[in-house]
Order: sequence, then C-alpha cells, then structure tokens
Amino acid sequence: MKTTYLRTRTLVAGVALSFAATCASAQTDDARYQKLEDEVKALRQQVTTLQEQHTREMAELKDMLKQQAAAAAASPQPLGTPAATVAPPSLYDSLKQSAAVLVPQAQGVKGVDLDMSVVLDLYFYHDDTKEGMSHLRQGLSGFGHHHDDAEGHDHGGPENGFNLRHVELGFSAEVDPYFRAWTTVAVDEDGAEFEEAVLQTTSLPYGLTLSGGKIKSGIGRLNRQHSHNWDFFDAPLVYEQMFGAHGLAEKGLQLTWLAPTPFYLLFGTEVFNGENEHSFNVGDADALPAHDAPRLYTAFMKTGPDLGPNHALQFGLSALSGRHQMVHEDEECADGDTSILGTDFVYKYDAKRTHGEGDFVLQGEYFYRDMGLDGEGDWSGTPWTAKQDGYYVQGLYGFLPRWRGGLRWDQIGLINDLDTPEDGSVTYGDSSRLAAMLDWKLSEFSLLRAQAGRGWYDTEDGREDAWEFALQWQLTFGKHGAHDF
Amino acid sequence: MNQFKVMLLVAACLSNAQAAKIKIVTTTTDLADIARAVAGNAAEVSSITTGREDPHTLTAKPGFIVRARDADVWIRIGMELEIGWEPVILRDARNTRIRVGMPRHIDASDHVIRLEVPTQRVTRDQGDIHPEGNPHYWLDPLNGRLVAATIAERLCALYPEHKAKFEEDLHRFERDLDTRMFGAALVDALGGENLWKAIAEKRLEAFLAEKGMADKAGGWYGTMRPHQGKTIVTYHRSWVYLTERFGLRGDLQLEPKPGIPPSAKHLASLVSDAEARKVRVILQEPFYTLKAAEFVAARTGAKVVVVPTMTGGSAEATSYLDMLDNVIRKVSAEL
Repeated sequence: MKTTYLRTRTLVAGVALSFAATCASAQTDDARYQKLEDEVKALRQQVTTLQEQHTREMAELKDMLKQQAAAAAASPQPLGTPAATVAPPSLYDSLKQSAAVLVPQAQGVKGVDLDMSVVLDLYFYHDDTKEGMSHLRQGLSGFGHHHDDAEGHDHGGPENGFNLRHVELGFSAEVDPYFRAWTTVAVDEDGAEFEEAVLQTTSLPYGLTLSGGKIKSGIGRLNRQHSHNWDFFDAPLVYEQMFGAHGLAEKGLQLTWLAPTPFYLLFGTEVFNGENEHSFNVGDADALPAHDAPRLYTAFMKTGPDLGPNHALQFGLSALSGRHQMVHEDEECADGDTSILGTDFVYKYDAKRTHGEGDFVLQGEYFYRDMGLDGEGDWSGTPWTAKQDGYYVQGLYGFLPRWRGGLRWDQIGLINDLDTPEDGSVTYGDSSRLAAMLDWKLSEFSLLRAQAGRGWYDTEDGREDAWEFALQWQLTFGKHGAHDF
Repeated sequence: MNQFKVMLLVAACLSNAQAAKIKIVTTTTDLADIARAVAGNAAEVSSITTGREDPHTLTAKPGFIVRARDADVWIRIGMELEIGWEPVILRDARNTRIRVGMPRHIDASDHVIRLEVPTQRVTRDQGDIHPEGNPHYWLDPLNGRLVAATIAERLCALYPEHKAKFEEDLHRFERDLDTRMFGAALVDALGGENLWKAIAEKRLEAFLAEKGMADKAGGWYGTMRPHQGKTIVTYHRSWVYLTERFGLRGDLQLEPKPGIPPSAKHLASLVSDAEARKVRVILQEPFYTLKAAEFVAARTGAKVVVVPTMTGGSAEATSYLDMLDNVIRKVSAEL
C-alpha cells in the first residue's frame, strides 16, 4: 500500500519536473536548461543513495530479528524479566497467558464428548369412554382396520390412572470429523426398543447430509419430534391413525440437501423398509405375494422466508409411497400401494421477552392417504381401497414467563371413502377433538402440564363422545439438547 | 492482443477479490459491533440476535441456518451462553468451515478475564450454572478490548492480505475504548495499555497518585469512581463483570438462583439485605418482568434502572461503546 503510494508520488514528481523542464527550455536560454538538468541529476543520485541505504538497513534489521528469534528460542526468557531489546508484551498477550491459567481444563466428560439424557414422563389420565380410549381409537370407522393384523400390540395408549410413558434414554456424539450419531432408546415395563438409532454425515459437500439407521422420517412437522418435545401430551389423531402414536420411524437411508438459495430451502428423500402397521406394512398370509424391502419411498421439502427478528414462518410438503398389505382373516387379505400427501406450516412470533413470555406459535398439518389394494385369497378379484384425510391446527401462547396455554383442533375423516369386499362402497363419518392445555416449564429440565379434551368420534359401534383429562409431570436429566425450530 | 486479455483477466480477478467481502456472522450484536470495528470495510458483519432478546433462550430459525451456511467466519460469546441454540444452527447449516474448533469458528471468550468459574462440582440444583464461568463478560470494557484483539488476531491469520488494515483498525478501536474508559487526559499522558494493566492488577489509584494524575481521571472510570463500594441489586447475575470492574458490590440478585424466577420468600429476605446495605439501584435488562424489581423498590426506596446489556437493546445503545456508555450514565445517575 505504502510503496504504491510512494511510487505514484515519484511518478507525479517526475512528470511535473519534466513538464517544468520543457517550459523552461521553451522560454529561456541553454544555461537555465543545463542548470535544471544538473538539478535533476543530483536529485536522481540522492534518491538512489537513499534507496541503497534503505535496502541495506532493512537487510540488517532482518538479520538482527533472526538472530534475536534464534537466541530467544535457545534460551527462553523467564517470565517477568523483560528483555532490554524486545518491547514488553502487550496487554493482550500478557492477559492471554493469565487467562489460559484461569480457564478450567477439560473436565471429565469433555474429553469423551458423549451427551446423555434421560427423560421420565409420568402422567395421570382419565377418560369417560365405555371401553377405554385405546379401544375407541382403534375402532374409528374407516381407520380401524389396521389392528386386525397387529397382535394386540398397542403402544401404551393411555389407561385410566397413572401411566409411566417409556423412559427415554438418549445418547449422542460427534463420532469423528466425518460422522455424528445418536440413539434414542425407549424402555418400558415390557422391554426396550429403538425409537431412533441414526448415523449421519457431517462433512459432505454441496449442503448434503446422508443419514442411515432407524430414522424418524423428515415428513411433516411433528413426525421428527420425540414425545417429550410435543406441545400437547398426546399426538394429533391424524398422526395416530396414519402412522401410529410415535410417528413414522423406519430403517433405511435419508438424503437431505440444503439448497444454496438466499432463503431456507431444504429437500429430502428417504428409502425405507416399510414396516409401519398403519399405512405401509406387509402381511403374513399364504395368499399374499412377497415383496422385498425397501418398500417405502418418501420425499419432502421445507422452506421459509426470512421475516426479520420477530417472526418466523416455515412451510413443508411431503409425499410418501409404498407397498401395503392387509390381512383380515387368514384367507381374506389384500395387496397394493399406499400413497400419502401432506402439507404443514408453522408460524412463530418472538416477543423478545424472557422465557417465552408473549411468544405465539400457530401450527397445522394436513395429510391425505390413498390406499389402493387388490383382494387376495378369499377376496381375490375385488378391490380394497380407502381415500382418507385428516388435519390438526394448534395455537400456543406464552402468557407469563415459562407458562403457556394452548388449544388444538383435530379432525380426521373429512374424506373417508372406503370400498371393501366386506362392506362395499361406504362413506364414513369424521371424528374430531378439541384439546386445551396449560404447561409450566419450571426450568429447561422440568415441565408440568394439564390437558383437557372433548372428542366426538365416529366408531364402528356408532358415535361416541368422550372427555379426556391428563396431568403430566416430565423431567429430563443429563444433557439437554438444543431445540430444533 | 494477448497482453490485453491478460490485463482483462487480472482486472476481473482484482474486482472479484474486492467485491467478495468476508462474511462474518456473530451470535450477539456486541460481537458484531466489535468485529465491524476491527474488520472495517473488508467484512460484511451480521448478528443472529438483535440485542433485544434474552441471549440464553432463542429459537433456531430457518433464516439463521441460511446465514450460518454462507458465513466465512462465525464468532460466539462462548462459555455456554448460546448452548440452547448455537449447536442446532451450526449442525443444520452444514458449513464445515465454521464448526466448533475450526479456525473460522472464533470463541470470543478464549482470552477474556473470567469470573465465577466454579471451583467445585456443579449440580443443576444451583440453577443455571455455567461450568466455564459467568458468560456475561462483555460488560467489562477490558474484556471488550480483549475480544477485539482476539478477533483481530484470528482475522489476521485467516486473511493476511488485510493484516495491516485490521491492526490499524484494532488500535483505533482500542484507543476509542481507552478514551471512553479513562478520559483523553489520562490516555494521552499515561497510555491506555498501562492504565488497563494497572486496573487489572487493582493498583490504578496508586498508579495515578504516583504519576500525579489522580485528579485527571475522566471517562467511565471517573464517573464511577465516587461510587466505589456501593451495593446494587441486579435481576440476573449478568452484571458481575460491570460491578467488579467499577468497584461496586453486586452480590444481591432478584433471582434466588441463576435462571430461577424470583420467589416471594427470596424477595422478602432481599428487601432486608437491601435496606441494611443502603441499596439505591435495582438494575435489570429490558426483557425481564418488572414485578419483582418494583416490589423491592417500593419497600426500600431504591430506583429501578432498566438498561440493555447488548448493542441494539435500546435507541441509545447503537454500538458496543455507546451501550456501555448508556449503562454507566444511567447507573451513576441513580447511585
């Protein structure tokens, strides 16, 4: 920078001089011209001498520095005795050294960097249904067929009285510079199962991330969340009926791509075995053809504009397609495909007060399911089809620091058209539910929640209305991970 | 002809290099302001937080992920202040260059003076205790100075072509900060570094007396000097660096434990403590509720002072230095 500036200045001076010289020669005699020439010569000589001197000095200085560095390396100066030739250390450098002493050195777990957490979730539940809410929900008209092939394995649907939702054990770590991994193991009185066991890349280029293992699918919005992150104590009906209370979690691979757009745009696609008893399942019957996994493919997209510091908005689209089989009785079964299309949105208002006071969240999801099966065995030659949908909308408001109130409206079966060998072509009614909840997060690690709901259900045994109440007490201990959007 | 082409190419490269500014994303506005002061025109600096929110709790919004994705350099406060949201942003941004531990991930707390580093095992029974120490260190202007040097040092290593400019800008920032802290008279006569060294070693008064400059102290130090030894009440333990630097006593909090909201029982005992120690100021950030502060104020006669601790937190706090200036002015007016 400085040299360029000097050069420019010399150049300007030179031009000015020669210009002056020209003028001079035009006006006056040779003597003055000669004098100017001499002056220029003298100047030139001075500059050359200066330049030479400068180069020499620089070289000497460099040599001196080198010698000093070598000397310092050979015999390090004891602290507190500043060398006469070297400037004393700057404030920053000296404090840097003392700060290094203050910073606590790696404490135990830091070396391992394995994050562990345990979630305990106790709730008291009561409803006024005739035969229990689990039974009622498994018999919702149009949706109730799936439990015929399940061996009475219902996922801890709430029972009246005290319920201990599975103990959730979470482990996560950055494995090496290339991969991270996490597992979530749900342990209950009947045993343990993986909710998730995910291996994930961290260093792929072009905004790509590849995940493998048992993954909670990226479709929809709620699907990724574990039950302890839900805003209500239970999942919406549409999730429960189309994917099960724990959502779609499958073995397979997931590839996501964060597009290089100025706004947030994420694409994802997944290949799964297809073992979801609600929508993508293979039955065990002689009459059914065998299909090798993978049998389920998904694609999803999420995007959101940047709306400044107080607002956030995100939209999502999801599509799923996979094999599905059902077994009614041993020889009555069907084989075909299920496709599901979904859309979701979430809007968040950040009031910029502490602990969620004044914050507002509005969120909703819609799913449409089309099952197109052909009868096999005793049903051979007849179709088994179902076109159904469902949605929920919920709003949450932080009316005090750490206190939130929420309302959720839930509906399934607005479209509920079935064509089955048993009942022929039938359009069933819808089921809906309204839930109100109040929660209090005493700290990042504990939560108390009360929820009350009224449901209007269309069941195989006719219409039934029911009240539900739940009181939830949830604690997390160990490391509490940061929350996703 | 060929020469012409080469010249065009060189020109294109040069203009490209000039257009491509270093994209620096910081977690807080104070870091953004300091980074801007150090990096000058060479960088385009933006902050994730606005200065108006509680930096402990924040939602990792999609927009933040896009900004982290495009960042050349990421600067955080560290000491677990951003633990609730920084990991999600860095994970989802997929920008391997700014991952924790990489040269382009600058932890501004690396070389600051830390307070309240626990010496014993911590449990969550004690509230939100940060195992690496209290992370609100930027309220000590000396730490602001050290943060600037930390950022400059790393930027010089990453972008040696701008080294001279970064160092020049750093010295300008340091001189501004020194002048605001001690007043121009002291800085001119004794040098900023010497003054800071003396205050860090708690021998500033002796140093000034020795140099015969005891009556020349100006700036924030001069403003706060008459109030040394007084006690103030604060909402959260986010002011300890300020009270420590300016010789106030700041051990009384409205919160019974860090991050735990004020309880009636705690406030009752706080009122008697505050009366006994003649507290005149209750200090808190704008994002906390005023109820507890007003409760104590009504019973002790102390004044509630609401002032942001982050750049951008109010109309007066337009820069890091103005933010500190605002704090000192408002606090000293009521002491």
